[in-house]
Amino acid sequence: MTSFRKSVHVFVARVLNFCRERQLDSDSTRELESHLQLHIDDNLRAGMSPKEARREALLKLGGFEQARQYCRDQRAFPFFEPFLQDLRFTFRSLRKSPGFTTVAILTLALGIGANTAIFTLINQVLLRKLAVRDPQQLVAFGDSIFGGIAGGIDLGGFGGYFPWDFAWQLEENPGPFQGIGAYGSFSSKVTVGQATAASSAEPSLLATASLVSGNYFAVLGAQALLGRTILPSDDATPGSGAVAVVSYHFWRQSLSSDPAIVGKSITINGVPFDVVGVMHEAFYGFKQELEPTDLWTPISMQPAVLQQPTMLVPHSGLYFLHIFGRLSPQAATSKSAFAESQNWLNQQVRLGIRANEGGSITPEREREIEHVSVPLVPAAHGVSLIRSQYGDSLKILMAVVGVVLLIACANLANSLLARGATRQREIATRLALGSSRARVVRQSLTETLLLSAVGSVLGLGLAFAATRALIAFVSQGKADITMSPAPNLAVMLFTLSVAFVTALLFGVAPAVIFARIGHRGSLNSSARTAQGGGGRSSRFWPKTLVTAQVMLSMLLLIGAGLLLRTLRNLQDQDYGFERTHLLLANFDESLARYQPHQAPALHQLLLERLSAIPGVRSVALSATPPISDGAWSSNISPAGYTPAPKENMVSILNRVSGKYFETAGISILAGRPITAADTASSLKVAVVSESIAKRYYPLGQAIGRNLTIGIDSVRGPWQIVGIARDTKSGNPRNTDPVRMTYIPLAQIDLFVPDQPGTPTSTANARPIAREENHDCYAGTILLRTTGDPAKTVADLRAAVAAIDPNLPLLDVKTIQDQVSNLIANDELISALMTLFSLLALLLAAIGLYGVMSYNVVQRTTEIGVRIALGAQLRTVLWMILRESLILLVIGVGLGLPLAVAATRGIRNQLFGLSAIDPVTFVSAIAVVSAIILLSTWLPARRATRVDPVVALRYE
Amino acid sequence: MGPSKLDLLQGTLDVMVLQTLETMGSLHGYGIARRIEQVSGNQVLLNQGTIYASLVRLQQRGWISAEWGMSENHRKAKFYSITKGGRKQLAEDAAYWLRLSGVMGRVLAMQEGGGKR
Repeated sequence: MTSFRKSVHVFVARVLNFCRERQLDSDSTRELESHLQLHIDDNLRAGMSPKEARREALLKLGGFEQARQYCRDQRAFPFFEPFLQDLRFTFRSLRKSPGFTTVAILTLALGIGANTAIFTLINQVLLRKLAVRDPQQLVAFGDSIFGGIAGGIDLGGFGGYFPWDFAWQLEENPGPFQGIGAYGSFSSKVTVGQATAASSAEPSLLATASLVSGNYFAVLGAQALLGRTILPSDDATPGSGAVAVVSYHFWRQSLSSDPAIVGKSITINGVPFDVVGVMHEAFYGFKQELEPTDLWTPISMQPAVLQQPTMLVPHSGLYFLHIFGRLSPQAATSKSAFAESQNWLNQQVRLGIRANEGGSITPEREREIEHVSVPLVPAAHGVSLIRSQYGDSLKILMAVVGVVLLIACANLANSLLARGATRQREIATRLALGSSRARVVRQSLTETLLLSAVGSVLGLGLAFAATRALIAFVSQGKADITMSPAPNLAVMLFTLSVAFVTALLFGVAPAVIFARIGHRGSLNSSARTAQGGGGRSSRFWPKTLVTAQVMLSMLLLIGAGLLLRTLRNLQDQDYGFERTHLLLANFDESLARYQPHQAPALHQLLLERLSAIPGVRSVALSATPPISDGAWSSNISPAGYTPAPKENMVSILNRVSGKYFETAGISILAGRPITAADTASSLKVAVVSESIAKRYYPLGQAIGRNLTIGIDSVRGPWQIVGIARDTKSGNPRNTDPVRMTYIPLAQIDLFVPDQPGTPTSTANARPIAREENHDCYAGTILLRTTGDPAKTVADLRAAVAAIDPNLPLLDVKTIQDQVSNLIANDELISALMTLFSLLALLLAAIGLYGVMSYNVVQRTTEIGVRIALGAQLRTVLWMILRESLILLVIGVGLGLPLAVAATRGIRNQLFGLSAIDPVTFVSAIAVVSAIILLSTWLPARRATRVDPVVALRYE
Repeated sequence: MGPSKLDLLQGTLDVMVLQTLETMGSLHGYGIARRIEQVSGNQVLLNQGTIYASLVRLQQRGWISAEWGMSENHRKAKFYSITKGGRKQLAEDAAYWLRLSGVMGRVLAMQEGGGKR
């Protein structure tokens, strides 16, 4: 131990010495001078002559300079010295060729920066584990990525959605799991106010709230920063347990970091809640959505938080929770124990389904139930929408930037080889003067390490800027605090190792080749001809590198081409509605405390005021925009159609105001659209999409038929009065026609109609305690404008604020933005891929140009001789061109099979074309060939201008 | 062979310097060199320059400290003195050298005694 401490001490002292070497050196010089003086004094006293005295003193000291060197050696690191010499030498030689140095550093900065940027995102999106205890033990039950409320489904038959009673049962009895918790499958916007400021003048703020089970935090193993987390006792009784845990960021930003917040009261949607705790900064919850959760509240408070009737009754038929569990330590490590947990869960799900379906289950159904399974999905990283959306793209991009860096390395290696060739005589001289071969290699590696170190520092800066832009894109303009562009330790280490590997990659080959030069002993003056004439083998490496570049850049071009065409296909397809001059705005009446029965008046007012905005052609309201990632859907029963057993009768629903079809630009193929004349007092009507009409009424008899909807609040019957064109209403990649049913917003009952036999109305005989119908709300404003819709945004906001300043417009965007958000992933990956492949192509072109120019310079003599002997210019041109044509053919030949293999990997990302799309392949080859030929053509033309007299004069 | 010989020399020189400073108190480099030569009865042919390497080394380990001052004949010189850590080290090293020389003496004596064939 002490010897270790001692060496640390010595090391530190030496480092310090190293830093003030100059000062110490002069100090020891003075000391040695004083030594001599003292000795001379003594000698003089002993009777020597001054000359003799000095000579004797110096002799005894063993030489003045030698003594100084002893001290110096003792002070510093002797093994450091040659390295410093290398470094100094490298600095000098790089400064002498600023062009090469700049290009090399910029190339490296781009390459390393791109890698760092993508890795920063990968690290955060794919690699970061939840900041909780033993995250590897966490599993999600089924697919928990999307969220919503579903009705009329089987347990486990529909992703990972579960009803309240089933989740509750598992929480109470977690079987082989350490614990099982549940949470609302989606977080919802709520208004938060200070309970103390009771006056409504205090502007309430919008926050995102998540419902969680009482054991949610305990199962996750997450502790609170202040106060406590939500406990099982909070969630014990539906309707009670009005407590909230707030996120660190919400606490900082909206509660002004109040250290005494715990125990204070806030209101959520007007209901008072006690704040019981603040979470740690790194805790975002088990599921991360685009907008991070601000508040966690017990599931028992669902009616207040979601502002919907209670879902907390047994057999409600409403599936709105996701479930997750913590595996036992054995199950987290052993496959058989994991399988046991899986089996147990499947048993529970099957029991749940049987209990749901009641007494009589046909043997056929029983067999189906026996096959129901809810997979346990490892969730050490939690569940994240961004990961599921962008994970694959990021992996592809990582591979792409890796390839770009490889191409950059090949380029630099080539430049170094060329430099090395011109430095042959210098190296030969150094070897002849006794420099070791290892020292020459080390010198060359020092150069590449220095270049890549500088390049990676610049690259880190570039990456920071790029990552910021990427995060802004990925989070769609929402202030996402779960991702940060700042590099952390992992990113730093990554960049460091990338820089190091890069330096080795582009540095080792040239270094070894330099060292070998010594064998040829080219100290004579004909170094140039030796390289030029007999150098066929010396051109092997540059050619190989260029071939690899051709191959790799073609690969990237093909990838970029496929993705660009995919994006084009997605954008250019027929969406069924007009994609210009349409502005969409999201609003939420319930957040502004409108009761459902007040909605129709508000809607009327909105329609009137908004149509008065100048430049607005028509206005409509609807539940959802013509296209969105969320949907309101249900089974429908068209009168006169008998569904086959198990036939999928789901239709997407939308409730719309008059002029909706006109405003959205959806054409009516038959009958009439929904109009303002369809009011609460007139006949209930519906418009269906072409696909519904064709599917259920193939003989064209749809109009005039009735249709009922599987949701009680809008059951109908509705008489079909029109048929609208099919539209893409959800995922733009979905090619099947979407079944749509449109009903008039104004015809939806203000109160949920009593259903005979439902327990809610029979239990209490209270008069007119009828439940208000939340389906009366609209959620979207559509404006068709004459000019640029983006210019109407301010007018729209002003008009809405004039009606009610508290009515929140959550999101205003044009229909183009709406579509482009749905294909954001495709836009991002194809744009970046194109950028990177062009960068790669540029690098390859520069590389080839460099190699070819260099070749021409090397072969000046040869070309001169050929021309002097009467060779045709065309022959010379062809000789040079042929060389790169061969490289091109080899590169393309090797690249094609590689591309076919690689594009299979991105098949899932493509839309409307095959992975070996001939158009893309042919264009990519054409582009690569054109660039390669161009970058050879220039040096080749120069070769034909070689003046034989000049070329030969050197000999 | 070369380096191990040098190590031994280094080790001995460091001990000699520490011992000199321990007995003589504060002293400059030249003084230390002269003192060692005197004590060894001029048997050691000392390269005085190596004393300075030794001084740097000992200073780095924190066993001696240095300060510029005036010599008895009014010359500026750097004076060294032993530190607490240096005394501890000297005690250890002295014990080691005494043990080693004792063992060496006994071993060499045994060879002489048992050397008859």
